[in-house]
Amino acid sequence: MPHITAFDAQKHHVHLTPTVIDGDGVAHVFRAILDTGAPGSEFSDRFLQTIHLFNPAKQHAVTIPDGLQTQKHGTTTLPRLECLGQALEHLTVYVSRFDESWGIDALIGLDFFRKFRVTIDYAAGQIVTEPYGRQ
Amino acid sequence: MPTTMTWKEMQQAFPNEWLRVVHYELDAVGQLARGEVLYHSSSKEEVYSKPLSGQSEAFWFTGESTFSGLRSHATHHGV
Repeated sequence: MPHITAFDAQKHHVHLTPTVIDGDGVAHVFRAILDTGAPGSEFSDRFLQTIHLFNPAKQHAVTIPDGLQTQKHGTTTLPRLECLGQALEHLTVYVSRFDESWGIDALIGLDFFRKFRVTIDYAAGQIVTEPYGRQ
Repeated sequence: MPTTMTWKEMQQAFPNEWLRVVHYELDAVGQLARGEVLYHSSSKEEVYSKPLSGQSEAFWFTGESTFSGLRSHATHHGV
């Protein structure tokens, strides 16, 4: 059964509202942007630290290079990520330092979307997702 | 004790601030519709450094995202 999610087509990017289920089974919803140019999803290190999925004590100091707004500096595995009505368990994502002005905590990339048949209908302001293998 | 606020009320009360919200509801396009603001600050660090409540939380920013795409940002800097 396809899942249809509405989005605000007036915005410059497709904003998403994913949910991470942490190790204690508690859901945390946050803002993200769909990044079809990214092979892997990137998550804010500060967000991951707050929900106990990243330990900065194990990392060296991270700075964002001049001219960039993000810096990948590790990976972590999310117990469960729910997005657009679909879910993936044990998804490994990049841990990144984000520019705060972005106002988001993740860029959702193709590692998530290649798992599903995805149709972005800008005219209707809808994203349709369906697992492969279903008619 | 936090009281329930609508998204519009949160934007007016906490412009360009980071929020952590419990007992939240989302609207049809995934936008925060209402909830109880647990923490708020213009400093993301201040809000995100608070311990988890043990409840489901929404992590939100009341301002507009400045994200313009990594490629366009790099272009502006001649990268």
